[in-house]
Amino acid sequence: MLWHKAWRETRWRFITALVILTMIAGSNVFEYLATVRLLAQLDQRAVDPVAQVSGLTAAIQEAIELQRTFRGFIWYQTFRQNLTQMGVFFAILLGCGGLLHESSKGSALFTLSLPVTRRQLLGARTGTGLAELFAISMVPPLTISLLAPAIGQQFSLIDALSHGVCIFFAAAVFFSLASFLSTLFGDLWRPLLITIGIACAIAIASFAVPQLGIFSVMSGESYFRTGSLPWAGFLASAVIATALLYSAAETVERRDF
Amino acid sequence: MSDGAAIETAGLWKRYDEVDALRGLDLKVPTGSIFGFLGRNGAGKTTTIKILLGMARPDKGEARVFGISSSDSAAGPEIRRRTAFVSDEKDLYDYMTVGEIVAFTRSFYPKWRGDLEQQFLRKFDLAPGRAIKGLSRGMRTKLAMLLALCRGAGLLLLDEPTSGLDPAMAEEVLQSLVGHVATEGATMFFSSHQLAEVEQIADHVAIIDRGQTVVSGALDDLRSQYQRIQLVFDADAPEIRVHAPGTHRVQRKGRVVTILSSSGGAAVLDELRGYRPSSFDVSPVTLKDIFLESVRTED
Repeated sequence: MLWHKAWRETRWRFITALVILTMIAGSNVFEYLATVRLLAQLDQRAVDPVAQVSGLTAAIQEAIELQRTFRGFIWYQTFRQNLTQMGVFFAILLGCGGLLHESSKGSALFTLSLPVTRRQLLGARTGTGLAELFAISMVPPLTISLLAPAIGQQFSLIDALSHGVCIFFAAAVFFSLASFLSTLFGDLWRPLLITIGIACAIAIASFAVPQLGIFSVMSGESYFRTGSLPWAGFLASAVIATALLYSAAETVERRDF
Repeated sequence: MSDGAAIETAGLWKRYDEVDALRGLDLKVPTGSIFGFLGRNGAGKTTTIKILLGMARPDKGEARVFGISSSDSAAGPEIRRRTAFVSDEKDLYDYMTVGEIVAFTRSFYPKWRGDLEQQFLRKFDLAPGRAIKGLSRGMRTKLAMLLALCRGAGLLLLDEPTSGLDPAMAEEVLQSLVGHVATEGATMFFSSHQLAEVEQIADHVAIIDRGQTVVSGALDDLRSQYQRIQLVFDADAPEIRVHAPGTHRVQRKGRVVTILSSSGGAAVLDELRGYRPSSFDVSPVTLKDIFLESVRTED
């Protein structure tokens, strides 16, 4: 029943995340047709899109070239940008809340009077959150596989599952950070805003320090470019997430309510 | 720590930031008693209850419930399985209905009393389909009581069970509690500011002040032990110094001196005869008198 309670507390966040991320992924599939038409027009004019505009970086040129194929378009638009950005936000949102937030609302004393340990309470909440995170990581990529034939394209199930796993592992770090901060602050806003701030800082810092490339793991860049999953990134994400969740459990265990 | 107590604390200390919430609290709640736990705001009542349930941990001392240390996190669920708790605020899960929270709570208690559940749903007029967020404070209190009483618990821990209720509803809740304790043979430990209701239902009381127990015992014993002695003099009353133990307050007003004694009064009376008053009067005191005297701040 603790799982049911955790589900009831997070279900609207989860459903909102699932619907929005799935709609983003689905709409990206159909946007490919417009992109193809745009690129064809540029090609007919025999225009070199890069040469015409001074100062464009190689990254932009690559972006244009990537989007000439459906797989490249999906990776660039969906996994590298939309699902990464929105996925991080919803992972953080799912991680926020818990016993301390309940305490500020007053119902924590009822929860704590139940014959369960605090670790069980946190475990149910975390387990439910991770299950929801897994679902919002997997469903949007699978939606792409499902919808791609509608525009005459293919996106294999293996690709979808691989990208879903990449999103899940990286997003779990932000989920765990939000969970940990939720054991320090009783409101929803501080864990949410601090974790978003840290995510933005990592995104900026990763330009200078590529080792901080958690967003590269999340977008599945190595899988897209080389076909190999980012195992080291998975391991690092799992270690960091576990450490954060362990810290959250220790904090809750020691706290007075 | 001795046997036969549902709750026992010894030298319990708890500090929050710069404030000592408890300062060596000693308490013993006999099994099967209805125990009123009294004190002013901030005296440490809620902190004590939280420590008993493992929601807060003492800095020093020990608290035991059914002989189990409440500081032992592994044993905490066993204490809470045998204990029913109702908090002061009676806050429950707003996103559930009455029926859902009953089913939720029921799932944790193997000894859940389905018969009582049905009985209290009817008695308290709680419709299972009603959303908790739509319940009045009184109805929330009744729901919290239902969730506590149906657990089949041997100990009821109630923090201000009737706070915020109108007198009729408070009486209904109290009668339900007393009836339950009498029928089920449970121990009831409750904090309250309502001295009249404590006097009405409790058989034992403890009064705490500034984190320490200042009075504790069976209510009947306390009533017989505490007496008000009034001396009337022909002229202005002299300044009186009483050395007999158990003398709590000497109040002089014109020709009258009032003394509160907790030692039965005989020794005090012997001493007072030396002042040659024109008349004596020894009268019983109420719980309110005992409470006010026990928590009186020094002028």
